[in-house]
Amino acid sequence: MSHPITTDDSREIVRVDAIVKDFRPGLGLRAKRVLHEVSFAVREGEIYGFVGPNGAGKTTTLKILMGLIRPTSGNATILDCDVTETGFREHIGFLPENPYFYSFLTAEEILRFYARLSGVGGRDRDRRVQALIELVGLGDARRERLSTYSKGMLQRVGIAQALIHDPKVVFLDEPMSGLDPIGRKDIRDIILRLKSEGKTVFMNTHILNDVEMICDRVAIIVKGRIRHEGPIREFMNEEAMRSDIVLAHLAPEVAEQLGAKFSARVQTVGEQVEVQVMDGQVRDLLKSALEAGAEVLSLSPNRISLERIFLEAVEQGEQADGSSAAERGAPAC
Amino acid sequence: MVWLAAAVLAVLATDALHTRLPPSGGASRQMGFVPDPDLAKVLSLGFGAVLADFYWLQAIQAAGGDVRITPELGDHLGRLIDLVTTLNPRVDHPYRFAAIWMTASEQNVRTANRLLARGIEYHPDEWRNYFYLGFNHFFYLLENDRAAEWLDRASRLPGAPRYLPRLAARLKSESAEIEVAAVFLQEMLNTSQDDVAKEGYRAALDEIEVEQSARLLDGARARFQDRNGRDLRTVEELVAGESAVLRTLPAAEPLALPSALRRGSTWVLDPVSDRIVSTYYGKRYRLHVGESDRQRAEGWAEERRIRERVQGMEGSRGETRHEPSNHDR
Amino acid sequence: MLNSGSRIWPIATNTVREAVRHRLLYTLLFFAVTMIGFSVLIASLSYVEGERIIQDVGLASIRLFSVGIAIFVGIGLIHGEVERRTIYTILAKPVTRSEFLLGKFLGLLLTVWLQLCLMAIAFVAVSVLVGAGLDLGYVAAMLLVGVELMVIVAVATLFSSFTTPMLAAFFTLGIYALGHLSRDLYSLGQASDVPAVKQAATLLYRALPDLESFNLSTQAVHGVAISGAEVGWASLYGVAYSIALLILASFIFHRRDLE
Ligand SMILES: Nc1ncnc2c1ncn2[C@@H]1O[C@H](COP(=O)(O)OP(=O)(O)OP(=O)(O)O)[C@@H](O)[C@H]1O
Ligand SMILES: [Mg+2]
Repeated sequence: MSHPITTDDSREIVRVDAIVKDFRPGLGLRAKRVLHEVSFAVREGEIYGFVGPNGAGKTTTLKILMGLIRPTSGNATILDCDVTETGFREHIGFLPENPYFYSFLTAEEILRFYARLSGVGGRDRDRRVQALIELVGLGDARRERLSTYSKGMLQRVGIAQALIHDPKVVFLDEPMSGLDPIGRKDIRDIILRLKSEGKTVFMNTHILNDVEMICDRVAIIVKGRIRHEGPIREFMNEEAMRSDIVLAHLAPEVAEQLGAKFSARVQTVGEQVEVQVMDGQVRDLLKSALEAGAEVLSLSPNRISLERIFLEAVEQGEQADGSSAAERGAPAC
Repeated sequence: MVWLAAAVLAVLATDALHTRLPPSGGASRQMGFVPDPDLAKVLSLGFGAVLADFYWLQAIQAAGGDVRITPELGDHLGRLIDLVTTLNPRVDHPYRFAAIWMTASEQNVRTANRLLARGIEYHPDEWRNYFYLGFNHFFYLLENDRAAEWLDRASRLPGAPRYLPRLAARLKSESAEIEVAAVFLQEMLNTSQDDVAKEGYRAALDEIEVEQSARLLDGARARFQDRNGRDLRTVEELVAGESAVLRTLPAAEPLALPSALRRGSTWVLDPVSDRIVSTYYGKRYRLHVGESDRQRAEGWAEERRIRERVQGMEGSRGETRHEPSNHDR
Repeated sequence: MLNSGSRIWPIATNTVREAVRHRLLYTLLFFAVTMIGFSVLIASLSYVEGERIIQDVGLASIRLFSVGIAIFVGIGLIHGEVERRTIYTILAKPVTRSEFLLGKFLGLLLTVWLQLCLMAIAFVAVSVLVGAGLDLGYVAAMLLVGVELMVIVAVATLFSSFTTPMLAAFFTLGIYALGHLSRDLYSLGQASDVPAVKQAATLLYRALPDLESFNLSTQAVHGVAISGAEVGWASLYGVAYSIALLILASFIFHRRDLE
């Protein structure tokens, strides 16, 4: 996919340019191409969603950005520094997928450790450690060893260590994984707060709901190729602006009338009537329906659009993969 | 319960199988495999000192207890001490340990001498190694010149006894062999840290003591012949009747011998050799290597066993060494 | 700009904390102290030079078991961090891979030096108890055991930075053995008539760590005079060799994909 054409001219914090990654499963075996010339950019102050099915290459991309693995070709920069450098990491935070820490330390100790590595010194360090423990809600377990922590608690420690040095850019690999609903909300709130503080957030996920709720821009990656890239509102096309309403006690002919009046899609299923309508018309349609004696069973904003795009992209990816067999075998270099 | 039964069964079966295996014989335990010293040194990976200690303990085990020091055992000890002193040439006592125990054959003694030479190389200031080398040359190999050389060198080292130069001089004159032997043995007795070896030296000193008496009788016999114009018919003639040349006969047994071991030995004229011998030894003392020496080793071992048994019976009865008294008239 | 020390040190101290939780470490320490105590019994089998045997056994136990600790804790040093992915969050901080490696190395080195001190205390206690001599020679010997441990930890760090603990153990043990053999290999090679063999032996001798140069235990026990220069040069050699190994380890580790 080509380099995104940006409409607003805010600074590009992360730039990924035609990155290719081949993995060699073993000596003599053929290399396997996991990323095919992936390019995208993350602008200052935005929350960037990197979305894709399992095995798409999200974590691999993030590992390249963190300098943990090297791209076979292409290059990537963060804050205008090559990702293989070290100095700029003062300004970035990273939450790996299923993070794991020295389990013999307590939350406080491990955070103090990361603070020292990040150059957070003296009294500032203790203050940051306590603040982050509170932020991620680990206050009660702060002096317990991480070996006793649950998966979700470790995830919280991971988020705390990513933010310990108040970084400008935060990279999160599936930040919601392993968290309960309250935890997810907490993390969403944290991410939104980071944004409000002017931080840039890059986030890997396959939970589309989260993406829709908080992301400013999205890239969809399938089988190592970026299939869509753009601001979230580009995905929120007409269809995306609709809501689903389920009504009862509504005569079919009244339903037809309503459908015609508000140019809504109407479908009768047994006793119930399902109506899909543009978001702007919801109020008026509901008013009319209620006046006609209907009962509202449910009202939900239509969230299928991103999912549909996502599924389409995956399908597209499968087909592309099937048709271009030549691409599968990367040169063994 | 099932587990208990299974465990008992397993133990019994294992034990039954174990008893079927050929037991390791006493001989093979005594003379175990001794690795090649140079190879062992290389493969010791810097742990030579501890390996040397291990084989040193094996050497002590092999020589200790009620064992007869055969030439084969001497060879085995030689291999062990060679290994010990190759792994850690800075050891001290093992060099002389070899000299003490490797006496059952000429080859044993020569090997011991080579080991002593190595000891001298690593401890050039230790006079005892030179002394033992001298002793071996004199006592077992009858090479008095070389013995004298080693004693000369020993005498120049710190801590060496003051009489060494005189001893060396006497060696060169090739006279008074047994006196020299007595001095040597007395010195070894004084300096040895090895109780079993000390027993051996004491026994040899006892034999020399009896030999000295025998030589005294030889002298008397000669005077008897001069005076009477005929040889003795019995040894008693030396002290009986008008033709007596001695007042009393010297003891035919070592003076230090515990009373329980005394056999009432007497002096007799040995019809084969036509020499005056003590019935205690049945032969005259000779500095010699070979068969007789092996017999001497056997004799020492026998003696030692008896003494130990006697000491066990008599409790801690002090063993004092008497100066040989002069019986000459 | 931060200095490297403020990043290396926390990694090192954490490594110590992690290493002292190793059960194997205590097993080996226990064996070492037991052997040092047991040496008194062993020595009683000999009627001469008992004190020397006690010290031989004591020093050998110290050398054997401290190297055991260095190798068996060291082989998983880097590999474990990558395997458990604890390294991800650390390298995402402004920590270079070299700093990480050096921190891990220092941490393990401090740990084995700590063990060495404990063993040395047991050794001194037993020596004093049996009235065996102790002098500066023993200090020099212990010092060089410490230097040898540094080289071994560096070797283990090197192998651990790119291979599995199994292979790292195999290689490190191999280097340990060859390092003690290198002088013999050299003289063996020099005895050969084939020039290629001679050259190969010389090359091996110079490339392998000359671990025998750190072995003063026999000299110490026998009271052979040890010159300060000898200890100084050997220590310098050990430090230089370790640095070279760490540079090589860094070079390899920097190029590795951490998956
Ligand atoms: N070390 C490796 N060797 C070989 N293949 C690898 C390696 N690491 C990842 N892959 C492959 O690369 C592809 C992308 O993996 P990656 O972990 O980036 O996926 P992901 O998008 O993060 O998936 P998920 O949502 O499950 O986390 C997968 O097909 C995986 O099998
Ligand atoms: Mg992933």
